[in-house]
Amino acid sequence: MTIKWSKRLLLAFSFLTATNGWCADLHGRSSTQILSFINDFNNGRQIELAEYLHFSLTNIDKANKFSVSGYGRGSQDLNNGDGINGRLYYLYGEYRDLYNVLDTKLGRQFVNLSAGTTIIDGVQMDLKNVGPVGFTVLGGRDVAFGVNGEIGHEGNYALGLAAYLTGFKNTDLDVSWFRKWDAGDVSRDIVGGSFKQFLFKNVKAYANARYDLTSEVFNEVLAGVKYFPTANLILTGEWYQSYPTFDTTDIFSVFAVNRYQEGVFRADYTVNDVVAVNAGYSRQDYGDDGTADVYEVGCRLHPIETVSVGLAYDRRQGIGGHLDGGMFDVAWDATKKLQLASGLTVDAYSRDFFPSSSGSQTAQQYWAGGKYRLAKNMQASLRVQDDINVTRNSNVQGRFIFDYDF
Amino acid sequence: MKKWFVYCMLMALSALYAQQAFAQKQSHKEYASLKITECNSCHKSEGVALNHDADWVRGHRVLAAKGEKNCAECHDQAYCLDCHQGGGIDSKLSTNNYRRDYIPKSHRSDWLEIHPLKALDNPQSCYRCHEQKYCSQCHSKFQSSSLEFLSHRRQFSDIKLTNVGPNHASFTTAQCQTCHPGGMLPTHAWAPDHAREARRNLQACQSCHGDGDVCLTCHSARTGLKVNPHPRNWGSISGNLKSKSGGRTCIRCHDSF
Repeated sequence: MTIKWSKRLLLAFSFLTATNGWCADLHGRSSTQILSFINDFNNGRQIELAEYLHFSLTNIDKANKFSVSGYGRGSQDLNNGDGINGRLYYLYGEYRDLYNVLDTKLGRQFVNLSAGTTIIDGVQMDLKNVGPVGFTVLGGRDVAFGVNGEIGHEGNYALGLAAYLTGFKNTDLDVSWFRKWDAGDVSRDIVGGSFKQFLFKNVKAYANARYDLTSEVFNEVLAGVKYFPTANLILTGEWYQSYPTFDTTDIFSVFAVNRYQEGVFRADYTVNDVVAVNAGYSRQDYGDDGTADVYEVGCRLHPIETVSVGLAYDRRQGIGGHLDGGMFDVAWDATKKLQLASGLTVDAYSRDFFPSSSGSQTAQQYWAGGKYRLAKNMQASLRVQDDINVTRNSNVQGRFIFDYDF
Repeated sequence: MKKWFVYCMLMALSALYAQQAFAQKQSHKEYASLKITECNSCHKSEGVALNHDADWVRGHRVLAAKGEKNCAECHDQAYCLDCHQGGGIDSKLSTNNYRRDYIPKSHRSDWLEIHPLKALDNPQSCYRCHEQKYCSQCHSKFQSSSLEFLSHRRQFSDIKLTNVGPNHASFTTAQCQTCHPGGMLPTHAWAPDHAREARRNLQACQSCHGDGDVCLTCHSARTGLKVNPHPRNWGSISGNLKSKSGGRTCIRCHDSF
């Protein structure tokens, strides 16, 4: 038996009438933006109109277990020939607590395991409340964003599995496996794991590793300790190593590479409500006697409740060149509705390996902006910045944003 | 003996974790609107690390990727993707944008110029947000002559055979073996320089030579100097690469594999 299209339409209308009793909540934000910048690819000034939409639909079912979430943007270049551009970041339906043990997300979504991270058009299922171990399985089409739009192609898929300890307040432990396909061939095959343990009420030990099953090397290993003797002071020590690994379908996967190692020491201290400071040092080893030292210091000040000031400086010296730079920013809540902010970033650098720009260079960037709340669900902001650097004596760019919350 | 040691360790850990099982994690949804400083008084008294400390941006990776993460109790995925994928639905005034994409604070001042230096600080960090194809796609939009590395100053194609003789550009790759049997090179600096740079930062090579054709001028098994580029453990991993890539990488350089 077949149903004619007209009858199908009538049937659809019957669903619409049923929505009288439907009281789902739709919340989100629409953000309309006008951006002006110099397009480095063709040196032309570009004016773009962008529209962001972010929403969540909840209370669809009585138990409020099903929800739909979405986020994306579309943009149109108005004068420079770049045309229409867009990114759908996610759009998925989620059903939580099926039989109190299963959460399921279906659609485009961001997924993140200790073995790998990506965006998929697919499904993620989390099995929970079945004992001290939880499980995750995910898979779907692998999505990647490029300079303009998506850069994936047919045959790009991702699959992941994870098992993890659950319910332990002081301990996290998980193992996962993540595989990617490129045009039907296995391009990545990684086993990952992460671990965290709180000890003695003031120590956190943590580790993370990714093992590349194809190259048979630890793609990444991180081991660290955080010691917080008081609520205001954190001391961090970390060791990290990595091998750059490439997709098996990429010719660079057959080349020999060096191990990169890094040791980090860092201290973060919140002196009081007014001052917080931090300082850090890292020693980097690139193999073949290539090393670098990186120092950083920073502070955040709240001289009065409505003003926040940030300062950060870092210095890198070693293989590749040197970099001295930092940033300063200040934000002032002038009224309950108006925020004013400004800042600058400055860098002095020389890059050993680029003959065309040998010698020291400087780069400066200044910006200022304001944000005004027009109503409880509406705000507008304007930001303007100027760059002075080796490429341009002045490069003014800016954006105007109107946000509407619903 | 080793077995018994493992069994003992497992039993000890089980006992430790069984004790901790009574200390359940709790939902943080109701605390989502609290200031971070207010979270810490509770965290510290519970012996739990301070929440979202000043080192959070650098250190959140491990916690966000673990199995039992609770990020979603306060943040939706847009919060992650605005920073990792250039979104700007809820940007602060201090957040900069490059073209239409919003960028994190690390991408400061003249990022186009300083990113080769910044990318050296943990080369893996770029791939937390960008696919490798992203680098090639962007670099392909610039003139290659403006992106040359130190080792490229002495390109072999510019080296003359003698003080007055022709340079190497006048020869084909089929002729390399005539003067350099077995890939043997004289001691001019180009070869060791570029090998060191490539081993330390192969991603940088890939960003300009995405298809690797220029590398295969010397590193192919078919033509040129036939210099072996493979790592030391090649014997044990070549089968993995061959089976997983369906041989499509191998066939670039080898007739049989």
